[in-house]
Amino acid sequence: MDPTDKNILNEIQSGFPVTSRPFLEIGNRLGLSEDEVIVRIRRLKEDGIIRRIGGNFNSKKLGFTSTLCAAKVPEEKIVGFVEVVNGYIGVTHNYLRKNAYNIWFTFIAPDIASIEAALKEIALKTGVNDILNLPAEKMYKIKVDFEV
Amino acid sequence: MPDELDKKIIGFFQKDIPLEPMPYKIVADQLGVSEDEVLSRIREMITSGVIRRLGATLFHQEAGLKANAMVAWLIPEEEIDEIGNIMAGFREVTHCYHRRPQRDWRYNLFTMIHGDTREECNEMARKMSERTGMKDYSILFSEKEFKKSSMEYY
Repeated sequence: MDPTDKNILNEIQSGFPVTSRPFLEIGNRLGLSEDEVIVRIRRLKEDGIIRRIGGNFNSKKLGFTSTLCAAKVPEEKIVGFVEVVNGYIGVTHNYLRKNAYNIWFTFIAPDIASIEAALKEIALKTGVNDILNLPAEKMYKIKVDFEV
Repeated sequence: MPDELDKKIIGFFQKDIPLEPMPYKIVADQLGVSEDEVLSRIREMITSGVIRRLGATLFHQEAGLKANAMVAWLIPEEEIDEIGNIMAGFREVTHCYHRRPQRDWRYNLFTMIHGDTREECNEMARKMSERTGMKDYSILFSEKEFKKSSMEYY
């Protein structure tokens, strides 16, 4: 990554232009041609720096509900448990952490009932019964772009 | 709530936008509507907060942020808003949520912090503890990422 790549990344993480030719606009801000911006962004994607360029949606405003779940999974069951959990499209993040509750995943679904049903199903399929459902009472901050 | 056209537009923008000179036009053509219609719908969704952010999402690890930790805090319920807002004020905190404790899980405030090293995250948590006077907390580093994806709503 050179300084121009970094400038592009800082420019396009939020406030991606909603205009007919967004890459031209980004180029104008940075003194680059439209073509060079596109070529560099393509490369940053191929190199695994950029995961995705698109929208991040407020699931609540779309009528969806989301929660954080934590499970106590014995070492030998982790692989199978993760496979079952990750099979749900609504599970968007899943991490191993060092704690009695060692598997932490987020779950988005149209309503709380489908999340509860899924958690029951997960327990049934995996034999893991210690699963916490920790919906947010209040959000104080969510920040999703990073200066690079 | 989004109408049918909004949902179709979301269907495109929840994935990757085309890396072509006129990406909105490409989406509009596929939906059989005008480019202006797509642009104005997206602007409306940004204004109303349905779209929280439009742009690039990075693989953080590769972008230079190597340590990610969830720090869980036990905060007296009557102080939770005050403390939650202080915690949210730290630049290194990306997420801050109040969640109700359950069963044998005691902590009720969750902060996500990111740093170059684990030591930096530990130090950050110590500073947050000092600033707020909250001493009961647990740092849970991400040991392994099993999944990280964007939700497909429609």
